[in-house]
Amino acid sequence: MADDYADIPTLKENIDRATVDSVRSLDVDKYKYGFETDIESDMAPKGLSEDTVRFISKKKNEPQWMLDWRLEAYRRFLTMTEPTWAKVHYPQIDLQDMYYYAAPKSSPAPKSLDEVDPALIAMYDKLGVPLKEREILAGVERPKVAVDAVMDSVSVVTTFREELSKVGIIFCSISEAIREYPELVQKYLASVVPVSDNYYATLNSAVFTDGSFVYIPKGVRCPMELSTYFRINEKKTGQFERTLIIAEADSYVSYLEGCTAPMRDEAQLHAAVVELVALDNAEIKYSTVQNWYPGDKDGKGGIYNFVTKRGDCRGANSKISWTQVETGSAITWKYPSCILRGDGSRGEFYSIAISNGYQQVDSGTKMLHLGKNTSSRIIAKGIAAGFSDNTYRGQVSAHAKAKNARNFTQCDSLLIGDKCGAHTVPYIESRNGTAVFEHEATTSKISDDQMFYCQQRGLSEEDAVALIVNGFVRDVLQHLPMEFMVETQKLIAISLEGSVG
Amino acid sequence: MRQTMPVRLGAAEDTLIAQLKSVGADATAERITVAGLPTRRVESYHYTDLKTLLRTIPPLAQAANEASAPALRVPGAYQLMIANGVIQAASTAPAGVIVGKAHGGVLTTRDDVLVHLNGAFAKESLTLTLENSIDPVIQIDRRSEGEAAHVTDSLKVFVADGASAVILETFSGSDAAHVGNHATYIALGKGATVTHITVDLSPRAAAHFASNEYHVGEGAKLRTLAIHAGAGLSRTQLFPRYEGAGAHGDITGLNLVSDGQHADFTMDALHAVPQTTSQPLFKSIARGRGKAVVQGKLVVARDAQKTDAKLMSQGLMLSDEAEILSKPELEIYADDVVCGHGSTCGKLDEESMFYLTSRGIPKEEAETMLVRGFIEELVDPIEDEALAEALHGIIDGWLLGGK
Amino acid sequence: MTTPILEIRNLHARIEEREILKGVNLTIPAGQVHAIMGRNGSGKSTLSYVLAGKEDYEVTEGEILLNGENILDMDPAERAVAGIFLAFQYPIEIPGVATMTFLKAAINAQRKARGEGELSTPDFMRAVKEAGTQLNIDSDMLKRPLNVGFSGGEKKRAEILQMALLKPALCVLDETDSGLDIDALQVVSKGVNALRDANRSMLVITHYQRLLNHIVPDVVHVFSDGRIVESGDKDLALQLEAKGYADFDGALA
Repeated sequence: MADDYADIPTLKENIDRATVDSVRSLDVDKYKYGFETDIESDMAPKGLSEDTVRFISKKKNEPQWMLDWRLEAYRRFLTMTEPTWAKVHYPQIDLQDMYYYAAPKSSPAPKSLDEVDPALIAMYDKLGVPLKEREILAGVERPKVAVDAVMDSVSVVTTFREELSKVGIIFCSISEAIREYPELVQKYLASVVPVSDNYYATLNSAVFTDGSFVYIPKGVRCPMELSTYFRINEKKTGQFERTLIIAEADSYVSYLEGCTAPMRDEAQLHAAVVELVALDNAEIKYSTVQNWYPGDKDGKGGIYNFVTKRGDCRGANSKISWTQVETGSAITWKYPSCILRGDGSRGEFYSIAISNGYQQVDSGTKMLHLGKNTSSRIIAKGIAAGFSDNTYRGQVSAHAKAKNARNFTQCDSLLIGDKCGAHTVPYIESRNGTAVFEHEATTSKISDDQMFYCQQRGLSEEDAVALIVNGFVRDVLQHLPMEFMVETQKLIAISLEGSVG
Repeated sequence: MRQTMPVRLGAAEDTLIAQLKSVGADATAERITVAGLPTRRVESYHYTDLKTLLRTIPPLAQAANEASAPALRVPGAYQLMIANGVIQAASTAPAGVIVGKAHGGVLTTRDDVLVHLNGAFAKESLTLTLENSIDPVIQIDRRSEGEAAHVTDSLKVFVADGASAVILETFSGSDAAHVGNHATYIALGKGATVTHITVDLSPRAAAHFASNEYHVGEGAKLRTLAIHAGAGLSRTQLFPRYEGAGAHGDITGLNLVSDGQHADFTMDALHAVPQTTSQPLFKSIARGRGKAVVQGKLVVARDAQKTDAKLMSQGLMLSDEAEILSKPELEIYADDVVCGHGSTCGKLDEESMFYLTSRGIPKEEAETMLVRGFIEELVDPIEDEALAEALHGIIDGWLLGGK
Repeated sequence: MTTPILEIRNLHARIEEREILKGVNLTIPAGQVHAIMGRNGSGKSTLSYVLAGKEDYEVTEGEILLNGENILDMDPAERAVAGIFLAFQYPIEIPGVATMTFLKAAINAQRKARGEGELSTPDFMRAVKEAGTQLNIDSDMLKRPLNVGFSGGEKKRAEILQMALLKPALCVLDETDSGLDIDALQVVSKGVNALRDANRSMLVITHYQRLLNHIVPDVVHVFSDGRIVESGDKDLALQLEAKGYADFDGALA
């Protein structure tokens, strides 16, 4: 078993040349996605009410069953209270002082890319998200990535749909899926995250506006990466995305998620629900680079990111792997989890969470072992700088029937500066005598010796920190798809700017 | 935070409220009335839901007429006894030990129901001042005698600068459904060295609660070992505070749980100043449908630089139905620290079993040997041989006692 | 003809679904030392575990006779009492259990199972001291927890010490030379040779011929793909050393 974990990194490991270069070539702007795009929007009336729910459902041309489902969720929501167990502090969110629906007016339902507002394409270009289905740019072949672009409350466009449909894969917005594939949606929606799972998930169920729907048929290996790019553009607008991914038996899919928002003084709410279902021998790999606007240096503004992500390894020998890079948001409240139901199923969670300024992160995972011979692995790396608080919160439990359950957890925290906090709160629950759990956590700062060594070789203090941090998170980085890896290394450096000196 | 739901109170809470009012502790009574006993939603009671586990509270203890045989005798020890909360007359104290009494409880107020209850019900507390190093083991024998009783008692110990002592506390009594709420406060002066051992040997029908608060001064060294080997429900709360540079704590605990038992160690440690260290180590062994809980929090205060603290929690499952629940926790506000925790849980190592049996040692004997080896790390550092032997006796008694 | 100490007949064994031993036949008469050589992964360590009765392995076919008695239904402790001793390639570390405590428990458990009285403490101490001296094992090492923090050489010497104290009928030495420098190898070999006896057999499992210069075998077997493919005298080991294992691959196929 020891061999399995031989790649647990130590700070002292070598950091490759590419990292050094990428760190050096950084842009100087701290949050380069903070621009606003001037696009006229169609908005719902302000505030949360049954009428808001009806408005959203109507805008989406939803069938009656979906409206009923939303209204039921809304009624449940009215009886619930906000959870208080997380180590995050924020003023009461006024749910009546925000908009629940905002859509670009220009192209409500574009049929193809040509019909999409050029301003939108330009915006995504600026964000580095390719919406054009061109693979060969300047003679360089890049791997194909199909994108579902969601702005505020609607999916703007989904690329490569035709190519994917040839092998039976459905990749579209959830709004479209509700209309076109009601039987699939009805079968799986809320089957992983029940409507009344928690306060934010229930709110999401009532007012979710868009998100992605993925269906991989039996035996199909998805030929390209699928991705959704979320963008909040409008002021005072909450984003409530809903994503549902179903991998039928013997299938495989890798899915990426990215997100950004403009810089604004007031906080904005993002409450998403993501559900994954993996059937027999299926594998879902879900990667996130979360870069919502974190607020300014005094802690003003930023996104409140309250997210429920959960995967259900429903089939035997299925596998769900979560990889997340959390650098943005004023508050992150997020626990991508795995229900290891199928015998022999496996869950993985790889996380990098960076907090700086006045950011607050309370994130981690749950690995719930229900089936026999299930295994899970958690590698979480937290980096706290500035005045931030960074908490890992995780649960590993073996049910009485989870014979031979195995878990390995490694949580490491790095503190940069003496005004921040790093916290680790694991819940380790073994209810089966044959289960074997191993958990280890460490907290430390960057060693003076390492800093001195890097600086002696000519790196500035800031570059040295970025370099060492990239080494610290290396073991998680390597689980990201290639395109995300380089991006992430840059992002880490940007996120930590101003953290030393 | 919106907390509007009124709490429904059970029989245990009703009794507690009446008892609190009878002793004039109206504030604590009000607290119970509003919040009830803690449920799993209260983080520090996440795995020990008192509302569910504590269904009845026996009447407040009356002075005991007779005492049962001592549960543990350590040759050469200086013994003091508190029976049903009443401090008993003692023999002449060894030189340097000043025995006294004080009114009320001993614990610093904190947001914890057991601490509140102890403060409300403790009429008097035993105080010990240790002026210099004390050779004999000081044993405080706490008893719950007669019919089932709600017993509250408390002890406060001051250990002078440079002094050293071994303090043993044992908890036992008549075979009845007692609820014991015990408090201990130990302050270690500069450079003091203290070994504090608590052993619960209460009857299975009883519930045993202990809260131990430690103030560890500059350069002082504290070693503790708490053993749960008696009550059906037991919880020992450990509140060490490291308050001077060079303060060090080895806070250790051993949960021995059999079918139907529930034992809980909850530590909330504060490294309050720079340059303090601790190495908490908890071990749990569960068999039958026994349940063992370890919650261990290390808090490093802002500016408490150079803290070096690592907590370890190890669980050993001797049956398929046993439960071991562990919540180690780090809360760190200073950056120049080396802190960590580890938690492992599993059954006896198969490779070790094979090695031992391949040498001709029968399976049961090999198991006992490995279990003893698992525990040895806790007893080994205790230098007083008679005391170590007595503790081995308790552990072996549990191991060979079956079920 | 006298009964051989060990007789293995058509032994097949698997771990989970994978068959590792595929029909081993081996007979070791009393007093003889046999060596088994084979490349890594050929199944020779598995053979040692199956002889000692490790639970992970399932015997699907064949027999193992120790002094004419089938031992397959015995658990590891019963096999040890019957006279099998396995010197492990990687002796396991057992924290908290002092080496002396362990040695005494093992000796007395075996004596008890054979209906003999327990060894008195002075007799036990004397026996350990005597055997320890020959292997350069001092009393400090014996006070430490079993194998914990022992160097590679210390671990192997401790194994041979146990062998000397338990006086088995069959000694199985699994890669006893691995991790030993030449000095340590000599001490260990000397210890093993001192235990050679007309009533005792040994099975020496090794990857390299080097060990066999020190513990000279009566018979050498070549192991490949789960069975013995060639047997000969000690010169066979030299041949193997010179030519490698390739020539013997698939010899029975």
